[in-house]
Amino acid sequence: MTSMASRRGRRAVIAGVATSDYPHLPHLSEHAVHGQAADRALADAGLTFADVDGFATTGFFPMYATGVAEYLGLHPIYFDETNSGGSSFEVLVEHAAYAVECGAVDVVLVTYGSVQLTQMGRRLGTGGGGGGFAPGPAIYDALWGNTLVGNYAMAARRHMHEFGTTPEQLAAVAVTMRRHAASNPQAQERAPITVDDVVSSRLVADPLHKLDCCVISDGGGACVVTTEERAADLPRDPIYVLGAAHATTHHLNLSAMPSLTVSPAAQCGPVAFARAGITPADVDVAQLYDSFTITVVLTVEDLGFCAKGEGGAFVENGGLEVGGRLPTNTDGGGLSACHPGMRGMFLIVEAVRQLRGEGGATQVPDARIAVAHGTGGMLSTGATLVLGREAP
Amino acid sequence: MTERWFPDEMPMPAASAETVGWWEAAADHRLVVQRCTDCGRTRHPPGPVCPRCRSSSSEWSATPGTGTVYTYTVVRQAFIPSLRDKIPYVVVVVELDGAQGARIVSNLVDVEPEEVTVGMPVEVVWEDMGPELAVPRFRPAAAVPASAGATASAGARTSAGGDGGRR
Repeated sequence: MTSMASRRGRRAVIAGVATSDYPHLPHLSEHAVHGQAADRALADAGLTFADVDGFATTGFFPMYATGVAEYLGLHPIYFDETNSGGSSFEVLVEHAAYAVECGAVDVVLVTYGSVQLTQMGRRLGTGGGGGGFAPGPAIYDALWGNTLVGNYAMAARRHMHEFGTTPEQLAAVAVTMRRHAASNPQAQERAPITVDDVVSSRLVADPLHKLDCCVISDGGGACVVTTEERAADLPRDPIYVLGAAHATTHHLNLSAMPSLTVSPAAQCGPVAFARAGITPADVDVAQLYDSFTITVVLTVEDLGFCAKGEGGAFVENGGLEVGGRLPTNTDGGGLSACHPGMRGMFLIVEAVRQLRGEGGATQVPDARIAVAHGTGGMLSTGATLVLGREAP
Repeated sequence: MTERWFPDEMPMPAASAETVGWWEAAADHRLVVQRCTDCGRTRHPPGPVCPRCRSSSSEWSATPGTGTVYTYTVVRQAFIPSLRDKIPYVVVVVELDGAQGARIVSNLVDVEPEEVTVGMPVEVVWEDMGPELAVPRFRPAAAVPASAGATASAGARTSAGGDGGRR
C-alpha cells in the first residue's frame, strides 16, 4: 500500500491547533464554541479565514457542517461532516489529509463545539436507550432499559470473565487521568483520587463506577490541516499526518458485535501503523478515547501495545503515566479534563502539543511520534491517527 | 402470560419488513433467530441480507428458548424517569442455545442482581404487551437435564416463515 505521505509530494500536516475555553460555558452557544476554537487554531497556524478552502465538522443533525460554515462565514469548496460518534474527528482529519494531499484543497479547517453540559445537564452520563419510538432493528436495543454506560459495562464484565481483569485495574486508568489533569488548569476534575476512591464510588452500571465514567463538559477544539509545502512559511513547526485508518464492526446493538472484548481498533490500528511505517513500540505518547476506563484497556490491547487480555496489567501501576509504559491522555482525558460528547478533537490537539514540546508538566520528553485514537458508538467505530514531528 | 415488567413509557415494538416474522413468532411465545437458507448462518437482530454470503433468503429458525449469560450489567442509574422505580435491574446478553452462537440483548428477571454470573443458564420468559405482542426476557433456568441442550438443538430446524413470509 502506498503511504499517505508519498502521494503527489503533498504531505499532509497539522499547522495549527486550539481548544476552546472549557469545561463549563453557559455564556456560549454551540456555534460560538466552534468560532472560538476556529479563531484560535487559525491564529496558531498563522492563517486567516480567507486562507481556508475546506471545512469539516460534525454534530447530531444532518447538514451540520453547512450550518457551522455559514456561522463562520466560510464558503468552502470541500466540506465533510462524517459522523462516527466519538471517533469522528480522527476520521475528519484523515479525510482532510487525503483532500490536501490529492490537491483538492490547500487548507482544511476542522472544528468541534459542544455545550452538552449546559444544554442537557448530567443526565446524559447514562443516556441512550429506551423511550419513544424505535423503528426496525433499533427496537432490539430499546426495550431493555439499557444505557450507554451499560453497553460499556457489559464489555468490561466480559473482559473480566475472559481475562481476569479486575475493577482495580480499570480504576488505575481513572487514577492516572486524574493525575495528569492535576497539571491542566482547565481540567474539570483535578483533585487527586486513588484506586480505592474509584472502586468505592457508586456503581452506575456494574462493574463500572461513577469514577470509571467520563466527565460531562462544554467545550471544543479545532485544527488546521494543510500541506508541508503550504506550512513552510507558517510560524509553527508542522506536525505530519504519518498514517490513518478507521473501522467499524457494528452499529449500536451489542448482539451484533463479533466479540465484546475486541474493539474496531484491532482492525484500523494496524492499518494506520502500517501506513505510517511504524510499530507500537515507536509510539512515544498516546491520546486514547476514554469515555470509560474499559475503553482504554480495550484500546491499548487492540492497538497492539500489549497482548489481548493483558490490558489490565498494562494500565496498572502507572503504566499510562508520563514515564510509564505508554504515556496516555496527558491533558487528563475525558475521564477528568473535558468530555463534551465527541472528544476526538481533544486527542488531536493534545497529540500535536506533545509533539511540539508544549505539554507543560506532563510533557513526554522528546516525543516524536504520537497516536490519537477515537472510539465511537457502543464500541462501534474506531479511528487511528499517527502523527509525527518529523517528515516520513 | 406474565405481568408487565417495564412501565408503559417504554417503547412499543414496531415491526419492519425484516422483523415482522420475528415478532409474529414472539407473539406465539416462540423465540426464533433468522437463519440464511443459502449458507445456514444465523443472525440477530434480523436484517435483509446475510452478512456472510449476501443472500436475501432466510427462514425463522426455532430455538429452545434457553441459553447462557454471555455478559450482563446491573443498571443502577436510570435514564428514563419512569424506570427509576425499577432500578437496580439487569440487562443481559444471552448466547442462545441451538442458534450457532447467536446472541440477544434482553433483561434477566426473577433474580437478585448479586446472583448473576457470566455463563449462568437462563430460559426465556415472555412478557405479553398486547394481544399480538410479546417480548422475550430471561430468568435463571430451572434445573435442566444434561441432555436437554442436545434435544433442543435437534428440534431447532422448524421454519416459521421467512423470506416468503409477509413483506
